[in-house]
Amino acid sequence: MSATRWATGAVGLAMIAVGVWSMRGFDADQLVSMVVWLAGGVVAHDLVLAPLTLLVLLLGTRVLPARARPAAVVGLVVWGGVTIATANVLLDVGGRPDNPTLLNRPYVAWWLVLSAAWWTGVAVVAWWTGRRGRALTRGA
Amino acid sequence: MCPVRLPRVEDIESRLTGPRTASRLGLWLGAAFGICFLTGIWSHLQQDTPGWLTVPTSPASLYRVTQGLHVATGVATIPLLLAKLWSVFPRLLARPPRGARRLLLHVLERGSIAVLVASAIFMLVSGSLNVVQWYPWEFSFRATHYAVAWVATGSLVLHVAVKLPVIREALAGPEPSSDGLGRRTVVTATLAASVATTVLTVGQSVTPLRRVSVLGVRDGEGPQDLPVNRTAREADAVGPALDPEWRLTVAHAGEERSFGRDDLLALPQAQERLPIACVEGWSRSADWSGVRVRDLLELVGAPSGVDVRVESLQRRGAFATSVLPAQFCADPRTLLALGLNGTTLALDHGYPCRIIAPNRPGVLQTKWVTRLETLA
Repeated sequence: MSATRWATGAVGLAMIAVGVWSMRGFDADQLVSMVVWLAGGVVAHDLVLAPLTLLVLLLGTRVLPARARPAAVVGLVVWGGVTIATANVLLDVGGRPDNPTLLNRPYVAWWLVLSAAWWTGVAVVAWWTGRRGRALTRGA
Repeated sequence: MCPVRLPRVEDIESRLTGPRTASRLGLWLGAAFGICFLTGIWSHLQQDTPGWLTVPTSPASLYRVTQGLHVATGVATIPLLLAKLWSVFPRLLARPPRGARRLLLHVLERGSIAVLVASAIFMLVSGSLNVVQWYPWEFSFRATHYAVAWVATGSLVLHVAVKLPVIREALAGPEPSSDGLGRRTVVTATLAASVATTVLTVGQSVTPLRRVSVLGVRDGEGPQDLPVNRTAREADAVGPALDPEWRLTVAHAGEERSFGRDDLLALPQAQERLPIACVEGWSRSADWSGVRVRDLLELVGAPSGVDVRVESLQRRGAFATSVLPAQFCADPRTLLALGLNGTTLALDHGYPCRIIAPNRPGVLQTKWVTRLETLA
């Protein structure tokens, strides 16, 4: 292993040590809660989200013709990415009844409108590319 | 009868995942984590300033930019991290190697990746719940987000060191032929997801986009055209703030002077356009009017170059007192604000008076001020 890799690894370990050192003042409740949330994220991803994505892709390969799949994958990646990234406003958590300047939009309504528009666009593109592909196949 | 056969996962997986996709997404993810880490450390230094650091008062919008970038980048990172995890997900099921030494190295590598994945997800989840002010946990958000940031970034640096040969090979190797559903599709779609997420949320910091950012946490509206982070009721400041007997005390070296709101309004007034920039990422500029803090300090004979403790009437929540470092006290733009956007300061914005200074995190722009006292 090169000196650069060793040095980079050492910097990484030192940074981890700074993080752990910064936790020295945490009491037991804080530490337990932190570990639960650290592990919870991995469990939620590895045991729920990733298998669910796999399932959707498996269904996609069975249902969709090959030519429609690129559009469907792009559709899923963008829609899924945006949905999960904005889950904090979509799940109706947080905010305060005495503060109307926070979480002050109809988020789910907007998400439904955007989702409908997005998937309609994806379906049109998938149909169009599929039709063009068939025409090319016939022409060949 | 047609036998039911499970489709082969590898058909699609092999082209959508693997080192090629992982390395390219990793470059973007590394840059995003780097921005979040540096801007986060900067925010931490502004809130807990060590003795060796003098935070500059200019540019006035510096914190607005750094913290807006911190939160916007964090949000945009969510699709990137999900795609990156997906690109390496099949590796989770790889069988461990034979032989004690190889097995040990394998376990160490897997352990470091587990720490990286756990801490990376933790940072994005805790950050995105903080911006909606939802705290369903027992730990202190700020202290834990800070500590885990070091662990996440350190794990990322360690991961790059371990994977460097794989990354180099994946980035340098020739592109295999693609029928349209390959690495490029996934990386491009992921970047599109990040851009879309940014456009739909960033209006809370980038004011011109606030009407487009329909999934943003705030639409930028509020009393006097400015959002509120913590209301007077939440801070338990309503009663004392509306008390007609309210006085502001300014103290230096045993000398004290006290002022009612009318007394403050009778002093020379200044106007400044300054942003409120919250640690939660939202920000907006406003026109403030009030008395320059340095003028007030001169009235009690305080020299320039001293820090000032600012005390609030609030009886609940953190930051009931803050320290205004000397350079902010001396800056003529730092006001004890009495008015906002042309009218009397609203209760939720800090009535009867509040601090507004250039380049300061919102939590340190203390509201409902009752006392200013120089620190020796």
